[in-house]
Amino acid sequence: MALDYAIESHKLTRRFGNFTAVDQVDITVGKGSIFGFLGPNGSGKSTFIRMLCGVLLPSSGQATVNGFDVANQPEEVKRSIGYMSQSFSLYRDLTPYENLEFFGGIYGLRGAKLKERIEAVVELVGLQKYVGQPSGTLSGGWKQRLALATALIHEPPLIFLDEPTAGIDPVARRSLWDLLFDLAAQGKTFFVTTHYMDEAERCSEVAYIYNAKIMVRGTPSELKLLPEVSPVGTRRISVLSESPPQALRALKGLPFVQDATLVEAEIHLMIDKDTSDSEIIRAMEAAKFLKHEIRPIEPSLEDVFVTLTRNLDKQ
Amino acid sequence: MNGLWSVIRKEFIHLRRDRSTLIIALLLPLVQMTIFGYAINFDVRHIQCVAVDLDHSRESRTYLEQLRAGQYIDYVAHVASPEVAADMLKNGSARVGVTIPAGFARIAQAGGNPQVGVMIDGSDAQVSVRARLAFISQPAARIPGSPDVRINVLFNPDSKTVNFMIPGLIAVILSLVTTALTAFSIVREKEQGTLEQLMVTPVGRLALMIGKLVPYAILAMFELVVVLFISNVVFGVVSHGSLVLLAIMSTPFVLASLAVGLLISTFAQTQGQALQLTLLVILPSILLSGYVSPRETMPGWLYLISTAVPATHYMQITRGVMIRGAGFADLQTPFFALIAMSVFLVLASTARFRKSLS
Repeated sequence: MALDYAIESHKLTRRFGNFTAVDQVDITVGKGSIFGFLGPNGSGKSTFIRMLCGVLLPSSGQATVNGFDVANQPEEVKRSIGYMSQSFSLYRDLTPYENLEFFGGIYGLRGAKLKERIEAVVELVGLQKYVGQPSGTLSGGWKQRLALATALIHEPPLIFLDEPTAGIDPVARRSLWDLLFDLAAQGKTFFVTTHYMDEAERCSEVAYIYNAKIMVRGTPSELKLLPEVSPVGTRRISVLSESPPQALRALKGLPFVQDATLVEAEIHLMIDKDTSDSEIIRAMEAAKFLKHEIRPIEPSLEDVFVTLTRNLDKQ
Repeated sequence: MNGLWSVIRKEFIHLRRDRSTLIIALLLPLVQMTIFGYAINFDVRHIQCVAVDLDHSRESRTYLEQLRAGQYIDYVAHVASPEVAADMLKNGSARVGVTIPAGFARIAQAGGNPQVGVMIDGSDAQVSVRARLAFISQPAARIPGSPDVRINVLFNPDSKTVNFMIPGLIAVILSLVTTALTAFSIVREKEQGTLEQLMVTPVGRLALMIGKLVPYAILAMFELVVVLFISNVVFGVVSHGSLVLLAIMSTPFVLASLAVGLLISTFAQTQGQALQLTLLVILPSILLSGYVSPRETMPGWLYLISTAVPATHYMQITRGVMIRGAGFADLQTPFFALIAMSVFLVLASTARFRKSLS
């Protein structure tokens, strides 16, 4: 087995009764990458992560994490990974320092080594000012930094982050990602789930799981070039208009518009390729929208997933 | 009364969806009514008695048989000397000792009143009063001459209830507070989400269980000191045995009842359920322990169940040490029973606790 991969799964499957939550998922995650794992709620994301973390036994298939088999060596897997959950799952009545001491102790760190590691992770996430107050009183962003510090205490090469930025403010979100980039540059591997498309864009590779199956995987730019995303005979344009929501409604009803959505003040359209810009303008004017500007655009990651999901739902 | 019907309807829906609460609510009275009904019974029968027959005559055997026929006395052993019988009273394996001296038959046949020596363990007033009655109001003798029964109450001679109740109460209170301490420990981590983080760490299951027990065990030993202090200062109960011995022998009980709490915690899904389960376990164990009415009054099956209750054994220790001044050798059986129970309960909790989801 190649050890260049931090995670390698082969036909990994988990069933709950008749329901298949994860269906024959093949995945490889290279060392030092930030791997984005995306998918709607209930698509099997959490089940997949739990199997990789050694807390849920696969029904069939297999997976190795840091070279350890998740089904047969769950405790070795646990020792070699860090995990940061979506909801704050550290002890609220303990201070950050005490939480770090506790989890460090579980991973076998003692005495001077433990102290040194705590200082290192506290400095890394910038938690120095808050180490003495109860963890439950920290704000959302600081809680997540503490959780990241805890996940890093035993210097794991691979860290799982389950929606690490859910419910925290944009500034905290940005600085958390900056931290992840730094750590990835130092050789750490991250497996991140998220709902935010801008976060997905930052990943070195993403996979999209839908209805228990991996629908697509690749680098964000590879995904945007997928033929399924830009069907033959269509093109994507952006239309700038006054009162965009109303304009969107008007445009959606047109026969040559295949998909329409609003991004900030711009209307993003997927239209039949042979539709000319002037046809769009005529339609807009007919609906009494005066100011408009049209330019061609690339599909965004959101477009990628929305289009692929719709294609699957149609089948 | 805005929204009364909506609230009533909503609560009914909650009740119907929350199966475990519904089951506990319906099962609780069923189980408790049965157990309590049998367990609370002050009509003491079958008092454990040790016989010392030094006469070995037909008359002495008739006398002993006649006592047994009255149903209040059951012989648990026949021993060779009154000293051995007294030891059995001290270690709690018998409550009454009856000694028939040599010459019993000779005096009876001569039409005299042969002496019979009776030792009664006075720690439990209910038992000792009943035992006394069994000897005094005997049915018409089938032997000539009516025996002259000399009764000697060995412990708690003035039959003060407080002397008897307080050591029992110590066992009851300790089992209540200790079980409640740990009953929430795991389910709290489940509810607060910290268990999720713990499960992805390599923490050992046994280490987690024992790690959760130790601090509470130390706290419980302080509680023991407090309870003993109150019983002495407020109720004037003086221990006849060594308090150090009592403290040492309390350790396995404290561990066992903390482990009961831990086991409850592995079953409960919410802290509310943990509370319900604690009540479900603690109330019957108080009654079964022999605190309210003597275990002699229980039917056989219930007596058997009561041996599985840690408080039953601990009550023998507190009463033994405090009332009868018993030593370690006298109380080995309950002591080792409690050690076996705590080991079993800790292992059972460890086996029930999974570091994985299903």
